Amino acid sequence: MDFGILLYVLSLLTVGGIYAIFALGLNVQWGFAGLFNVGIVGFAAVGAYTYALLTTAGSTYHLGGFGFPLPFGMLVAMITAAIVAGLIGLICIRLRSDYLAIATIGIAEIIKLIFKNETEITNGPRGINKIPRFWEHFSEERFYSSWPLSWFGTPEAWDAFFNSLPNWWWQPFFASTVLLIMYVIYRMLERARIAPWGRMMTAIRENEPAARASGKNVTARRIEAFVIGAAIMGLAGALFAQHLRLIEPTNTFDPAKVTFLVWVMLILGGSGNNRGAMLGAFLIWTIWSASELIITGAIDLLIDIFDGVDMGSLRTRAGFLRMMLIGLLLQVILQKFPRGILPEVRPASPKGIK
Amino acid sequence: MKRTIFTTAAAMLCSTAVMAEVSVGNPMALTGPIPDLVAPMAQAVDLAAANVNAQGGMFAGGESYKIIRADSACDPVAAVDAVTKLINVNSVSAILGPVCSGATIAQAESVSFPAGVTTLSVSASSPAISTMEDGTDLMFRTAASDAYQGVALANLALAQGITEIAVSYANDDYNAAIAAVFSAAFAAAGGTVTANEAHEPSKASYRSEVATLGSTSDNLALFAYYGSGGITLMRNALETGAFDTFLGADGMLSDEVIAQIGAENMGNVTFTTSASDSTTPAFAAWAALAEGAGIPASDPFVPNSYDAAFMLALAIEKTGDDNRASVSAALRSISSAPGEVILPGEWAKAKAILAAGGDINYEGAAGNQDFDENGDVAGLFSQSSVVDGAWSATLIK
Repeated sequence: MDFGILLYVLSLLTVGGIYAIFALGLNVQWGFAGLFNVGIVGFAAVGAYTYALLTTAGSTYHLGGFGFPLPFGMLVAMITAAIVAGLIGLICIRLRSDYLAIATIGIAEIIKLIFKNETEITNGPRGINKIPRFWEHFSEERFYSSWPLSWFGTPEAWDAFFNSLPNWWWQPFFASTVLLIMYVIYRMLERARIAPWGRMMTAIRENEPAARASGKNVTARRIEAFVIGAAIMGLAGALFAQHLRLIEPTNTFDPAKVTFLVWVMLILGGSGNNRGAMLGAFLIWTIWSASELIITGAIDLLIDIFDGVDMGSLRTRAGFLRMMLIGLLLQVILQKFPRGILPEVRPASPKGIK
Repeated sequence: MKRTIFTTAAAMLCSTAVMAEVSVGNPMALTGPIPDLVAPMAQAVDLAAANVNAQGGMFAGGESYKIIRADSACDPVAAVDAVTKLINVNSVSAILGPVCSGATIAQAESVSFPAGVTTLSVSASSPAISTMEDGTDLMFRTAASDAYQGVALANLALAQGITEIAVSYANDDYNAAIAAVFSAAFAAAGGTVTANEAHEPSKASYRSEVATLGSTSDNLALFAYYGSGGITLMRNALETGAFDTFLGADGMLSDEVIAQIGAENMGNVTFTTSASDSTTPAFAAWAALAEGAGIPASDPFVPNSYDAAFMLALAIEKTGDDNRASVSAALRSISSAPGEVILPGEWAKAKAILAAGGDINYEGAAGNQDFDENGDVAGLFSQSSVVDGAWSATLIK
């Protein structure tokens, strides 16, 4: 029982970590450069589909799968998302904030519709399944019978080895991998924030004409931030695909559950603050997920107290109740911390320099 | 104040973790696109649990059979999260399936297969579910695969003398899958599919789609949900005279269609749906139970939900020790011959036979529920057409 809770905490850390990577990507775009990107779901989908097509085993349902090594899939997912963002950036980045928002919403929908309708490539609305997940994938035959594992043992030996492990063995490894990736990105972004590049970004965000007057190439810098943020989102999308193991365009990449949720995480944690972005992601995901347990528990308690009253309908409606309570909680937190729980610290101030 | 809130929250968390019972996780799409469809299914699951508990409960000690409900929202992300909690925190013995196919596949591959937990889905009908397992036997469902309904509809079309047909399907996982099966079966049986096009759901007008397809054939196989574009497409097709004969599946079968299109325009309309043979004693037993509890007995997937919840209870009873690993084999054993026939609601009888070491064979409300090697059941289908302004269904034998 207690051990099961540990596994649940691991899954909270995994999913929270993936959302934290999304939030860090958005922080580069919105927190640093002030780019109002409401198309997160589009970059997530590009990353997830690229990863899925490259790494799954050959299938009759979709193009490929090409069965490439997983790190290669993740790398290409980043690059593809970056290229897509670069093309969008060249066209749209001059738009001012709210117009950029409209453009990115539209582009995200276009990307989703492409994945939905190019049935030959993506299997359309039925989606791609059997996406390999890091660490766990080693216990699949096509991985343990090829390099690098085949250098260390025969397929039979590996098969016996994986069968001897408890079935949750990969969970701590996968969670640590996600957290490690998150930490590396955090350190890189923190370095960028304190560097002249980060200060220049703040200048561009706060006063664009002044930055332009001091000779900064504002457009190129904004495209830069947009592309870096999108590449990070593409990587998060690839991890998201690994976590779910099935992706399809309609429900998996629902803007309300990707774009909206990541924005809430960043705003609540503190936009412009990398630690805030990560804190917001873990906090919101934990509330989102654990509230179901608490509400189910509360209903059980009510049923125990008011014995004999029919509470079946309450159970059926608990889902809606939960959505409402989460909204209410967000209102309260945002009222209390209008600039986010960890507000932005300007790099130029003494506090910002370590 | 903070401490009070914290302790209350902790108390609520702990109360979900009481272990004096046999628990089964029941992720259902309570929110999301189809809550109305799911509400009676959830009632049917609760009714099965109530029947079990009223007739002696589980095992010798009479433990209570508890359904722990969660929200899978018809969404892979929510389903994976919900099932993670059910398996790890609530320590459920099995998963009584998510409703939608995408959510079912994602939760199985991401959580319940790796954890070795059996899934019995109540309504997931995607053909992809049949072939998703690789050496394990953990995926079952009490609803028939669309692969069967698509074939049944193709045979029906040929029996009506239709040799060429245009296919239009809403671009979602359910309708795309059944359209693909139908087209393949129709072509394999000698018919000609003149066009096969997807349409986006919920558009205001389908005139251009209808015009393109209508130039190829007078017969249309329409796979859509009536509430999100199906009625509009049909109306456009009739207005422009592009088609005169319509075939379709469950998604279009509703009184709403007659109300909006008009019975006088629906002379050549036939829709199939997965159905229960209402002449069997099993269905009669179920109908009596459902009527007593105020549940619509023939609504889509409602009998399947009851069967699933009842069969999981039988399977866990059969394992004798509430062990996750043996649920799958026990499920096969209690659902098929040989053994004494058990009808819906006959818990006390089944429990007595199992306690004496005998075999049972559950015959469900929705069909005989004998699983094949993929964990699928053969479905029964009915064809409905409009007679005197209302749907009239006959079972396809």
